[in-house]
Amino acid sequence: MKRTFLIFVLFAPLSWSAHAHEHMNHTTTLEHNGHSHDHHYNQLVIEKNAEVDSERFIKFIENLTGSQIAVVNVEGMVCDFCARGIEKTFLKDINVKRIDVDLNQGKVLIAYTSEAEIDFNDIKQKILSNGQNATGMQIIKL
Amino acid sequence: MGIRLLIILFFFLVSNSGETRPISYSGGSTAMTFSDNMKNSIYYHFSPSHKYSLGIEAIEDKFFGSNYSYFRFTYLLDRKNTQNSQRNLYFQSGVSSKGFDNFFYGIHGDWETRRLFFGFSLKQVENEKKDYYDQSYQLGFAPYLGNYGDLHTWIMLKTKRNSLISEWSTYPVLKFFKGNVLMEFGYNDKTEWDLHLMYRF
Repeated sequence: MKRTFLIFVLFAPLSWSAHAHEHMNHTTTLEHNGHSHDHHYNQLVIEKNAEVDSERFIKFIENLTGSQIAVVNVEGMVCDFCARGIEKTFLKDINVKRIDVDLNQGKVLIAYTSEAEIDFNDIKQKILSNGQNATGMQIIKL
Repeated sequence: MGIRLLIILFFFLVSNSGETRPISYSGGSTAMTFSDNMKNSIYYHFSPSHKYSLGIEAIEDKFFGSNYSYFRFTYLLDRKNTQNSQRNLYFQSGVSSKGFDNFFYGIHGDWETRRLFFGFSLKQVENEKKDYYDQSYQLGFAPYLGNYGDLHTWIMLKTKRNSLISEWSTYPVLKFFKGNVLMEFGYNDKTEWDLHLMYRF
């Protein structure tokens, strides 16, 4: 049976702690509208519903060392056929290495290159262009 | 299924008004064929944005025995996304290659979760021979929940009525989709086959 869990609990502290050494006094959290208070520290972004399927996530990150994974919560993503555009749209971005759609959890996993600056507003716009709404995002650095 | 077989199917299933997702993602195209007791058609549409699509539909009208095309415009009037559902309401319209006196307009809506589906289409068709009104309703459920990339299956019940025939026709429909391909089959002993094939790219 597939378990769901808060990926933040398992993965986020690793990247957070690594970053915290460099920027001990800076905490960066995007607001719900995706606006970053400090673009120098594109760190963890926690919004509601950050659960992902653990097995799916582990499979997804295979051979993606050094990447950043955006876990995006998406509303209205109820059908495989209707989510196809999400994959096509994101894969046009040269900074995107891999994408996965988790229909069960209503999540899109996007693997970005390590140097990419991940912009939640851009992600929201891309999701909207496919007809759904991105309501939250978490970034995990591998 | 091989690409060759798919292409052959695509051009020979010549179709009805496949209204499943009448607007694609921004920059996306959809090609479909549809066939039922009233018409065979091939329809291509392009979506400049997720709010509307423009397309052309080539029709073999079985009832009036004529061939023509529609230049179609579909607009998303309303959409409601939740974590587990999506509801859509569209305005649909088309102007015939026969002239501006031949056109149709109507609304099309659906509500869908991963498990349940309800859709409807109401359409008024004006032409030089006889105007008519077309309506259909569709209820469905998914017997299993597939993952992204799996073969997805829907079991549906469709009922439709055309004012030219003035009789309700109700029948089961099976819908399958995998990747960018969608297929739908319905059968009624009065109206015979509904066939619908769609490819999104």
